[in-house]
Amino acid sequence: MILRLISCAALGLALSTTAHAHHAFSAEFDVESPVEFTGKVTKVELINPHSWIHLAVTKEDGTTENWMIEGGSPNSLFRQGVTKNSIPIGSELKVFGYQARDGATRAVGRTIHFIDGTPLFFGGSAPPNSSGAPER
Amino acid sequence: MNASFPYRTLSTIALLSSALAAAADELPRTSWGTPSLQGYYTNATIVPLERPVDLGEREFLTEEEAQARLERAMTVTETQPGTEADVHYQFDDYGMARAQNQTVFSHRSSIITSPKNGRLPPATPEALARGQEIRAWRAEHGFDSAKERSLSERCIIWAHEGPPLLPTGYNNHVQIMESKNHIVIMSEMIHDARVIPIRDSAPTAVLPPQWQGSSWGRWEGDTLVIETTGFSGRVTPTGAAAPMAVDAKVVERISRIDAETLKYEFTVNDPTLWEAPWSGDYVMQAVEGPVFEYACHEGNYGLPNNLSGARAIEAKGGKP
Amino acid sequence: MLQRSSAHPTPGLLRPLGVALLLVSANVAAQELPRTADGKPDLNGIWQVMNTANWNLEAHSATQGATEILGAIGAVPPGPSVVKGGHIPYLPEAKAQKEQNFQNRRTEDPEAKCYMPGLPRATYMPYPFQIVQSDGDLMMVYQFAGAVRTINMSNHQPAPVDSWMGWSNGHWEGDTLVIEVTGLNANWLDRSGNFASEQRRVIERYTMLNPYVISYEATIEDPTVFSEPWTLSMPLYKHVEEEARLLDFKCAEFAEELLYGHLSKDAAARSNAAGEQP
Repeated sequence: MILRLISCAALGLALSTTAHAHHAFSAEFDVESPVEFTGKVTKVELINPHSWIHLAVTKEDGTTENWMIEGGSPNSLFRQGVTKNSIPIGSELKVFGYQARDGATRAVGRTIHFIDGTPLFFGGSAPPNSSGAPER
Repeated sequence: MNASFPYRTLSTIALLSSALAAAADELPRTSWGTPSLQGYYTNATIVPLERPVDLGEREFLTEEEAQARLERAMTVTETQPGTEADVHYQFDDYGMARAQNQTVFSHRSSIITSPKNGRLPPATPEALARGQEIRAWRAEHGFDSAKERSLSERCIIWAHEGPPLLPTGYNNHVQIMESKNHIVIMSEMIHDARVIPIRDSAPTAVLPPQWQGSSWGRWEGDTLVIETTGFSGRVTPTGAAAPMAVDAKVVERISRIDAETLKYEFTVNDPTLWEAPWSGDYVMQAVEGPVFEYACHEGNYGLPNNLSGARAIEAKGGKP
Repeated sequence: MLQRSSAHPTPGLLRPLGVALLLVSANVAAQELPRTADGKPDLNGIWQVMNTANWNLEAHSATQGATEILGAIGAVPPGPSVVKGGHIPYLPEAKAQKEQNFQNRRTEDPEAKCYMPGLPRATYMPYPFQIVQSDGDLMMVYQFAGAVRTINMSNHQPAPVDSWMGWSNGHWEGDTLVIEVTGLNANWLDRSGNFASEQRRVIERYTMLNPYVISYEATIEDPTVFSEPWTLSMPLYKHVEEEARLLDFKCAEFAEELLYGHLSKDAAARSNAAGEQP
């Protein structure tokens, strides 16, 4: 079963830690500037602390803008066998997110998936136990 | 739904202790005879650091309570578009959600075992005052420059790395490597490797403060006891009001329970922060390696983006 | 010793002793090495180079540094080439890139930005690193930027992902530890702009000469940058202080002004005062 979004605040309370105080998303991205578009992948950066997917987005007037979309740490993905080639260059993705406060063509990807609705990395279902270790 | 969650069931500490005694002869050992603690582990858990107040001195949840807690931890509220909480990537898109990572299932009500209420001791007035000063400064200057941002946002260190090492929201992997005279404990975030000498007596070299203190270890029977002091004075531990003092002392005890599990116990003593020392313990479970590199600083777009965003807010007459 | 044996009351005893001494001296290097339980050289310890390779892998005389305000402290000290054959065999386009790197080294050297140095550079940074050798794998922990890597000694897999410190597969060839490093991010090889791409494959060889010195060689193969593989070579010296240990060199905070200074409130105020767009 695919989980819903875990908000930073909810996760923080559950853990009694400040795990997500590290990154003030509200300073970086503007809740008043939601964006939604499709674009073609030009670069995939599976890096820490956040991954970034670069898209070439064709606007209504026919010009192209380069957007970079912020995502999560890829380490759990690597544990599942994901590599930088898992999202082929040229793939078409659909994004809903919030744009950077400084007006740059940068956004946090609240939802991001292949244009047909397939999730980016897990092909439609939550992945199995990452370690493969048996339950006790 | 529960059956699909990748958790392991661990019963009471009493059961674990008897298992330890029975299995002592079967524990893996190094070629020089000490217990082998080496391996890759996760310390992800749904046991909170502090016990909910209404549980009083109760160390264990009932089966029903534990299952309910598990369900709550694995089920989350969807955020609403147009709210601040919605301005975030989706955890399960990246395999970072609780249910997507191996997690220990336990009936324990808290990681903290002492004080008896399973909660951090009261903060000292000094710590509270210092905390207020820091918050007041940050409210005014928190976005002035990179050095005003948090240590984790600057990719310098995450507080959970300690010592004591505590579980955090994700990337809870730990690598332990053992040689005859050293043990390495490496946290995934941010690839910090504590290289701890194993000695007969405390070191005498005078060292400068260190981000994770200076540690030394010794074997007491089959338990590795690590003593650490000489902290940086710049890191605010999880749940503390202000940074941990240079002279704070942390003792860790690590032992092997069975082929798949280590027990990690600790005591923290910082009279500048808390009115009493406090202790806790939890279990680390073996996972497949490797611990993937969490380079952080090298890929830190977020920090300059935050500063740039703050400047944009200021340019419009606002306050970031 | 052998000459005195003729005057010795029992010459018969000393002749076999003389032969034994000859045999011992031939094997002294091998016998003196500390060894682990499986008979391999024990490389545990804190090691450091004593050379200027990190300034420039090729031969270099003393010159002005990239930051003149540091005076002689910022100057480049002299050093011989550590490259076998003297020069790094760049392809023509790569050589031009190297020159460009050199021109921009003050701001573009990944070391200045506190990026993890990768291999082989991490080995010859002018800071100590520690080898922790277990019954199985090894770890190498570097003081600079807290860089760390694990050397997989069994069950070798190809690099699953790229990283700054790469993916290391190691094995023993006699008493030499041979490590193949792949999956490395593109990086510089020194402060002079020498560089290699993410395509590179580095083969390292660690051979203990005695308990305190390791002979280190690294061969770099990168057909997108170099016309042929090339090898660098240098000794690694052991720290013998009784309580030697690595200390923190988390340099990210020292690189913040270089990387982000232009985004600070002060910088914005200065450019406002100068009448520029914020």
